[in-house]
Amino acid sequence: MFHRLGTRGGGWWRRWMRAASLSALLAGCSTDQDGAQATSEGFGDFCANALAAVEAHLGSQLPQAPGPEYGGTGVVGAIGEMVDGMNALVSGEYAANQHQRFVNLMTLVRPDEALRPTPYLARDWDFSPEGDELTFHLREDVLWHDGTPTTAHDVAFTFLRATDPATGFPNSGYWAHYVPGSEGVEVLDDFTVRFRLTPHAEPLDPWGSMAILPSHLLGDVSPERLREHPFGNVCPVGNGPFRFVEHRTNDRWVFQANPHFPEALGGRPRLDRLVYRVIPEMTTLLTDLLTGGVDVYVGVGPDQLGTIRGSQDARVVTFPFRTYLFVGWNTRDPRLADARVRRAMTLAADREGMVEALLGGYGQVANAGVPPFHWAYNPAMEEALPHDPEEARRLLDEAGWVDRDGDGIRENADGLRLSFVVEYNQGEQVRESVAGVLQDQLRPVGIELLPRVVEWAALVGRITSPERTGVEGFVLGWVPDLRVDDRDLFHSEREAEAFGFAGLQDPRVDALLDTLQLIPSREEARPLWFQYQELLAELQPFTYLFFRDRLVGMHRRIRDVEMDVRGEWVGVTRWWIPTQERR
Amino acid sequence: MIRLVAWRVAGAVPLVLGVVSLVFFLLHLAPGDPASLYAGPGVSPEALAQIRSNMGLDDPLHVRYGKWLAALVQGDLGVSTGRGEPVLGLLRSTLPATLLLSGASLVLAFALGVGVGVMQAVRKGGVLDAVLGGVSLFFYAMPSFWLAVMLLLLFSLQARLWGWPVVLPASGMVSVNHDFLGPWAQVHDRLRHLVLPMLSLALVLAGGVARYVRGSMVEVLREDYIRAARARGIPEWRVVLLHALPNALLPIITLAGLHLPLLLGGAVFVETVFAWPGMGKLLVDGILMRDYPVVLAGSLAFALMVVAGNLAADLLYQVADPRVRQGSST
Repeated sequence: MFHRLGTRGGGWWRRWMRAASLSALLAGCSTDQDGAQATSEGFGDFCANALAAVEAHLGSQLPQAPGPEYGGTGVVGAIGEMVDGMNALVSGEYAANQHQRFVNLMTLVRPDEALRPTPYLARDWDFSPEGDELTFHLREDVLWHDGTPTTAHDVAFTFLRATDPATGFPNSGYWAHYVPGSEGVEVLDDFTVRFRLTPHAEPLDPWGSMAILPSHLLGDVSPERLREHPFGNVCPVGNGPFRFVEHRTNDRWVFQANPHFPEALGGRPRLDRLVYRVIPEMTTLLTDLLTGGVDVYVGVGPDQLGTIRGSQDARVVTFPFRTYLFVGWNTRDPRLADARVRRAMTLAADREGMVEALLGGYGQVANAGVPPFHWAYNPAMEEALPHDPEEARRLLDEAGWVDRDGDGIRENADGLRLSFVVEYNQGEQVRESVAGVLQDQLRPVGIELLPRVVEWAALVGRITSPERTGVEGFVLGWVPDLRVDDRDLFHSEREAEAFGFAGLQDPRVDALLDTLQLIPSREEARPLWFQYQELLAELQPFTYLFFRDRLVGMHRRIRDVEMDVRGEWVGVTRWWIPTQERR
Repeated sequence: MIRLVAWRVAGAVPLVLGVVSLVFFLLHLAPGDPASLYAGPGVSPEALAQIRSNMGLDDPLHVRYGKWLAALVQGDLGVSTGRGEPVLGLLRSTLPATLLLSGASLVLAFALGVGVGVMQAVRKGGVLDAVLGGVSLFFYAMPSFWLAVMLLLLFSLQARLWGWPVVLPASGMVSVNHDFLGPWAQVHDRLRHLVLPMLSLALVLAGGVARYVRGSMVEVLREDYIRAARARGIPEWRVVLLHALPNALLPIITLAGLHLPLLLGGAVFVETVFAWPGMGKLLVDGILMRDYPVVLAGSLAFALMVVAGNLAADLLYQVADPRVRQGSST
């Protein structure tokens, strides 16, 4: 309606009608097609052409089922919308990234269960003897869903845009050791592409996270406008096992099996359709799981486990994950500048007890950002910081903090009190509980913690601002990449940047962080990683609390669902539903 | 009438502009930065600056306000900083759902409220009056979101566990296989999904409406012309429905206009509970993500709806009450 009015009139009348377009909105429901047109504004007929090309290539009907286990619709329910959509160049969000990697698009490599890179879009790769060149040889049988072959030009395009500052790629740290721009990439032929880089640790990791995008569709889009391009949320054209069908804002994403997905990579997915449903309330998600509205409920709360286990229709799948919770301390604050104080607070906290009480046992105590399943994890750290209030008191005494006025809270010689505000964000039950539990556990050793709830955006704004005015401590979650890199958090050069919350200034940490990223061999790097974790245990810029396992509810009808540290959707092509149990 | 509408519309323009301008400044004064929320760890300061620039956040506040206002006048609501989609498209895809839910709830609430209120007034002081009064007070005092959760658990989860013949869907506006259903089955599917969210909003509102209608009807039923009608032997149902009710409903028309903001506010929570893909949820997400264009457009749409609701109530009042109509024409 908006477009028709706009093209008919002219001059002031046209402008008036455009201003009145909101009232036109009230006039009736728009179809999805209308929505697609509206959101393609400024990009001509991009969506209409792109989706027509996909339909011409793959057809509009459900693909044929090659066997009885093929068919049906699998529904995944989760709290959050994939606001970043399928455009990997402007996406930093977990669920969207999972769909880019495993559902709609493809990465060059794919980590196996041990997180070693294995071929995916790239059939193999090699490094130059000096380790400063990386050449990928691509599969030649992968087509975009509109029938165009996926080539080295797409890979080069994706890299060029990702390293172009104008794009504002939110994970620009991926390419810290790659030569950016056209100097860093060379297309040798249609299926061979070479990158230049500084030899460093885990150089293939970015290629397991970053999905490749179609240059024939996005090549003409200026980097600044990529984020608003309808490719991401309205009409993505992928090359992965599922093609895009529909996105209804805050409601659902619908994908359909790609019948031409290469057999060597598993072939056509077993499900006909995969639907990602946005259900923002956990009680509703649980109800939907138990009543069969969804087959997979991502992000089950620990308090819901009993209900799911008590049901005959559902079960729970858990797997370790890399999300950890911590209390960040602002070491710029004079009371928090002494590592002994920070260490004492960690020793006073019963983190094992928190895992049991708050997570139902589904988690592991954290002592650094390296998750327990990671090759760099130092198991000796499990004994380094036990729950030991006596040791906490001793450290505080040693640091000159004693209760001088008999109120139960320690002061130093200058009269400063060991009393901190710890902020956490609204709507996060576990974080709120952590703040309360810590308050109770620190009080007996003479530390006063004052929990304060803050709205999420305000909290992020406060702790990422360079000044960090009034920030003392905060409870936060963090999801490190599989390639752990703490430079943003603890390198003194990054102290003033967004994620330098702690303000740590330690040359030993700096040296290790710089070195660790440049050692390609895991064997050589491991001792240094151990050393780094020991140093963090000593310095305690954060009180690391725990890694949370992922809890996923599963309806009994859905079969062969396997999930692991790589994410919920890693095995989505093998999921299936018996014929008699389909919707 | 036309002059009245024109006058009211002209008066609404600065009002709506004032509301959204206030929202603009309050929103920008609140701590939080959409670029920081969007950027991942490892983003360089240069990249963060570029993200801010791409989101149009690097201008001074007054310049941003000027640009936003100029764009608004041309019907350009901007691009969502959180989703990267044009806001107009987002509104087009979510507003109909909110209008459907709010509209259906409003109709049901007034139908129920008027019915219950009339029954109470007719049986004033009796058992029925007491029971219905208690029930309407019960719902009136209940927050929509709590009622929503209770209805969800009862008519979806427990209904299935207890083997009830009808189990209502817990979430969404349509089923995942909606597109594969026939036309009538599609209508049925939509109605089934509408029932619980609509009841969550309507029952609370109906409780209030019933109390107003009862009070209004009790007064009208005491009027001389009602006694006269009864004295003329007109059947009681005609007296109640055709003589008393139209007059008792006059204040209710105003009430409908006044209740629209409450209904829209309640819809925000109910949409969240039932995963109803409406504008309320979009607005809440926008606030959490500091998505300025979305929040401003949502506020604008809500402000327009409230103004339109009140205007509609005034016009209906004119139509329904000859005394007001006569007054305005002289």
